[in-house]
Amino acid sequence: MLFTSIIYFLFLAGSVLVYYLIPAKYRNLFLIVISIWFYLYVKVSYIFIILFVILINYWLGILIGRTDSKQRKKAFFYLSLLANSSVLIFFKYWNFLILNLFELFGWLHLDNSASAPFLDIALPLGLSYYIFQTIGYITDIKRGSIQAETNFYRFTLFTIYFPKLLVGPIERANHFLPQLKRKISFDKENIIEGARRIAWGLFKKLVVADRIAIYHSKVISTSDHQSGGTILLACVLYTFQVYADFSGYTDIALGTARMFGFHLMENFKRPLLAKNVSEFWRRWHISLSSWVNDYIFNPIALKYRYWGEWGLFYALFVSFVVIGIWHGAAWTYVFFGISQAIALIYETATRRARKKISKRINSHIYNSVSILLTFLFVTFSLIIFQSKTIGEAFELIHKMFINRGHFYLYPSIGLFMITGCLIMMIYDLQEEFKIWSFSLFSNKSWLVQQVAYALLLIYILIAGVFDGGQFIYFAF
Amino acid sequence: MSWINKIKQKHLPSLLFKTLVFLFILFLLDFVIGTFLANLYSKQKPGDIYRITYSMDSMKQDILIFGSSTANHHYIPEIFKKRMNLSCYNTGKDNQIILYNYAILKGVLQRYSPKIAILDFNRDEFEMEHGSYDRLSALIPYYKSHPEIRKIIELRSPYEKFKRFSHIYPYNSLIFTMIMGAIESHKERKEIKEQNGYIPLTDTCYADLIADSSYGTTNFDSVKINVFESFIKDCQKSNVKLYIVISPLLIHCLHEDPSINKATEIAKKYNISVYNFTNSPLFVNKFLFAGNGTHLNDSGARYFTNLIIDSIMKDEGLINHKEILVNKQNISKK
Repeated sequence: MLFTSIIYFLFLAGSVLVYYLIPAKYRNLFLIVISIWFYLYVKVSYIFIILFVILINYWLGILIGRTDSKQRKKAFFYLSLLANSSVLIFFKYWNFLILNLFELFGWLHLDNSASAPFLDIALPLGLSYYIFQTIGYITDIKRGSIQAETNFYRFTLFTIYFPKLLVGPIERANHFLPQLKRKISFDKENIIEGARRIAWGLFKKLVVADRIAIYHSKVISTSDHQSGGTILLACVLYTFQVYADFSGYTDIALGTARMFGFHLMENFKRPLLAKNVSEFWRRWHISLSSWVNDYIFNPIALKYRYWGEWGLFYALFVSFVVIGIWHGAAWTYVFFGISQAIALIYETATRRARKKISKRINSHIYNSVSILLTFLFVTFSLIIFQSKTIGEAFELIHKMFINRGHFYLYPSIGLFMITGCLIMMIYDLQEEFKIWSFSLFSNKSWLVQQVAYALLLIYILIAGVFDGGQFIYFAF
Repeated sequence: MSWINKIKQKHLPSLLFKTLVFLFILFLLDFVIGTFLANLYSKQKPGDIYRITYSMDSMKQDILIFGSSTANHHYIPEIFKKRMNLSCYNTGKDNQIILYNYAILKGVLQRYSPKIAILDFNRDEFEMEHGSYDRLSALIPYYKSHPEIRKIIELRSPYEKFKRFSHIYPYNSLIFTMIMGAIESHKERKEIKEQNGYIPLTDTCYADLIADSSYGTTNFDSVKINVFESFIKDCQKSNVKLYIVISPLLIHCLHEDPSINKATEIAKKYNISVYNFTNSPLFVNKFLFAGNGTHLNDSGARYFTNLIIDSIMKDEGLINHKEILVNKQNISKK
């Protein structure tokens, strides 16, 4: 059930209506039922995997919480970690590991004549998201920062709640579980704000991301025949595409959750306006980067603090390799992570020098150049991200400099892409810098707001791509 | 002034009232803008949109060419007219397949029966590919005015009829094309008007042409096969002489294409002539005929159109083998 499909909106409208009509005590149960239905709609067999993850983490969470013995706590914690990572490795990384193991055998001139035991299984949707969420939950119990959830229904809903199930945000127990405990009553603001958020999500996905996707896939699939300028434009636009696609999905997820009275954590904070790479990662896929920060970076940095700056670099390197490989079982994702780590290590090492330079230059110019450079770096790293192999990524960069020929861009396609990106970025700029005192979408007059959102929907009808594909982050 | 605030708070529009106002604004804007777009669409000067409208509503030529970009760039109506003394129009459209062609045929047969129809058939035409249904969006503006093509458009999705409630939706993604069409700033449009639907490719492609080693898919879409069969049946019912042509490629194909084999098998059942130019030595590796990797340029199209006319005239008994050879030599010299 795609978030942009008519069937999804029928499902949402029906669910919201029933949710507020039934007594409050049955509402969480109702959400569990519709979340399971939603997941079954994706693929029936996936439900067994998530049920296994729920059962094992619920049980081990309680055991960790109840026991006073540190050793037993640790044993249960590692058991949970083993179960969660086994599921993730089996479904997501098995073929990648086997392939590389056999290649290593070949390198070492060992016998690799046996046929590799590859698995013909598709990655269950949402697996990386809910596994990371449950690992975070178990770790928090072990650290003593939260209590284990003893109500099975509540824990099930924490894991399976449908708006965040497929592409996150990767929720935290201390943020989401308390919301499941409170009584939710009907509030028209939740419906209005939720609907508005969904409208923006649809705009980003249908008008910006899917429109660019048509151009980008056409250019990249025929890159041998495209001019360098065309390939460069497609790569620059891809940055906008990924942002619009993922943040658009998140907006729909957050808007949906809001309609049921829940506030999911924000996943994006205008990342394309970041002034450096570390700021970019504080604004981009926040639920993943903050997860990695809390559960990987901080423990490593703390453990190796006596290494001085090198301990920090090591923690950064490991964290970003994890972020990279989280995206998928391919070396390109590992290199994508490494490229981010290198940039962050560079930024950490040159922090003082850059601060000195910034004092000598006009702050507007310095900030604008910083935003541009960060954007270009992100665009460059996304070339690795979008390629199947590292060789393919470098070939694409090579083509940007050597391919000659006509610039491929029909005026109408260009106008659609530029208009979409402009509207999205103007909205972000206004949110970030409050350039204009007049605002259409948060105007004091509710009528002006209504007209603004009606125009937004009209523009989606005019310029949206209604035959577009899946969300990019479904693949992760 | 606190009493005003009190009243304001008391009379703050309820959710239901706000929703109704919002829906009213939305429907009003949809109606006004949709009507404007419909008007703009109908006034399009020659161009891609005009060609579909012309094909559906005004076309009255004796010979009609159907197909995708290969049809569009490979068949020159002017040569048909000169040699066969029959008017001709090329309805070929980039990226389209049998579903679109059948819709156009249905629209045409509502008005008249052409004498000859040429269907340019592509490799992998019967492939199971959802994108080919999405591309039927080009026909949505005709959903209301042409009931005969509704079933074809509804193949896109079961919700297509509900989407039609919007006045804007039929013109989705067309606004900039229509605005540019209205101000006639697109150079190509005049050429299209002059050449009865045919769009020539003027470049010559000197790229390395590598043989095609693909086997083609046998994962057929049964809907496409049925539509292909209906295309043949409708032509026969309306006494339209149908020819199926597989356009030449500049590259050598190492394997037979399952879709072409299937189409040939069906055509044989209905006694329809199939001219298959795959691997024709007249075109393979002939760089001077190549407009790009997959299409003929104008010179190639002229040569190919003459070959097709020869074949049709021979089939119709209007020309003999000797004359064909003379024609071929003359064309080669030119």
